[in-house]
Amino acid sequence: MDWVVEPLSQAFMMRALICGAVVGGLCAAIGVFVVQRGMSFIGDGLAHAAFGGIALGLLLDIETANATWVALPFTVAIALGIGWGLRTGRLHGDVATGVFFSVSFALGVLFIGLRPPERAVVNVESILFGSILAVGETDLWVVTGVAAAAALVLALTWSRLAYATFDPELAQLSGVPVAALDYMLLALTAVVIVVSVKTVGIVLVSSFIVIPAAAAGLLARRLLGMTAVAVGIGVGGSFVGLLGSYHLDVASGATIILTLGATFFLALLVRR
Amino acid sequence: MSAPHYTHPDREREECVFEVRGVTKRFGDRAVLDDVSFWIPKGEFLCLVGPNGAGKSTLLKVCLGLLEPDAGTVRVPGAQLPDSRVLGYVPQRKSFARRFPAKVEELVAANLRGKWPLRLRAAEREATERALARVGAEHLWGKSLADLSGGETQRAFLARALVTEPKILILDEPEAGVDVMGRRELVEVLYQVSRSDELAAILVSHHPETIARTAERVLYLEHRVVAWGLPQELLGSAELAAISDPRLRSTRWDDDSRPPPVPARER
Repeated sequence: MDWVVEPLSQAFMMRALICGAVVGGLCAAIGVFVVQRGMSFIGDGLAHAAFGGIALGLLLDIETANATWVALPFTVAIALGIGWGLRTGRLHGDVATGVFFSVSFALGVLFIGLRPPERAVVNVESILFGSILAVGETDLWVVTGVAAAAALVLALTWSRLAYATFDPELAQLSGVPVAALDYMLLALTAVVIVVSVKTVGIVLVSSFIVIPAAAAGLLARRLLGMTAVAVGIGVGGSFVGLLGSYHLDVASGATIILTLGATFFLALLVRR
Repeated sequence: MSAPHYTHPDREREECVFEVRGVTKRFGDRAVLDDVSFWIPKGEFLCLVGPNGAGKSTLLKVCLGLLEPDAGTVRVPGAQLPDSRVLGYVPQRKSFARRFPAKVEELVAANLRGKWPLRLRAAEREATERALARVGAEHLWGKSLADLSGGETQRAFLARALVTEPKILILDEPEAGVDVMGRRELVEVLYQVSRSDELAAILVSHHPETIARTAERVLYLEHRVVAWGLPQELLGSAELAAISDPRLRSTRWDDDSRPPPVPARER
């Protein structure tokens, strides 16, 4: 038990575990819809868009911790742009994501390069790979608050979102506002990705969305069950991965994702 | 060769439950539907036939209210479209159903509630059981969609469409992608459903046996209404030969052998 209790006695680990569990659970719940819609790549695309937003904040001389507030509207705007391209049939899913992905990332690199040299050096590595162990109390409140709001929106729209995910045409005939829900899901994914970047970083955040849902899809026979299993894997994977990284003294973000990956392959072996 | 005669429903004697009047739909410069008019009396099973690319799917989408026509109207007397309680819809076989984790009863009940059910209420459970029984699929209760055969999947979708007890059923090639045995069973179920005096239907099909077994009237569409009459008038005709035999799909009637235009009062 010491293996678990000892790290929990340290405040930074406690904050990291709570933050990881919240982000892991929420990303997994949204991931169920993202994966079922065949949009797994969108997580990567929006994470890279978030990098462009954070870099824009840094160019505007906003501190790294507060640059999230610039990244938030920036990433949501990109998500809605992708949604508009898809709905109007002007772009295919992978093309839309691929274009926004690279353009946003390039913009981020450009913005960081345009910063006056006298300003403090930006730790790009922490943006790319996250720094969950450095999560402060304010960060934790922001993540928890945004997660609670996102979870509430998701809970209120879950049944209609599920129907629209099953078949947009049939859902529309039953009176479900399919277009509005499509935009809402994209915006919600963008918000969750931006607040999650702090913990696992831009490069790894999409794994939080895709892997638990994909593993749960191999095991569950109902969408509600799939959601419950995905959330369990997201929360459990964060917890085990963090503890593992603490004891092995290796990168926490990568350890969490590797734990989730191991769960996926285990699910593949015991699939229904 | 004399022009064949086609028999339309008698408007003065029969109650109209669905009417398409002067519908035109263009995609760019191409008129996929050109001044299409027909109507369906209560309880009639209308088979919509025609070659690939003739506008059948577009017409169904307009009928369902999923596509706005450029001209013309679709009308169900006493109802505002789209409304799943008025129009029941069975799409072509859905391949996605195999990867979406769902049970048959959830699929059926979702159409009752207008959202995906977390748990079935007593009334929903009863209605779902009734709909499944109507298509001979009571045994599918509790089964995952992923475990169903093609024919079973389509029966589940048919039960889904019937659960709201609609006035009109719209079926888009329900037997497409279903194996021979499954298709035979499905056609029998469609035949039983077609015998109802209350339920009218539009069925798109490429299979002559489905048409022969279920159709009370046949409408041949090729961007416009080419023929609209009783099955015995059309079965064996050049139009059905054209769609049942791929080698003859491009067959056209000569101008002098086309059916007479639909009388103005029918439009």
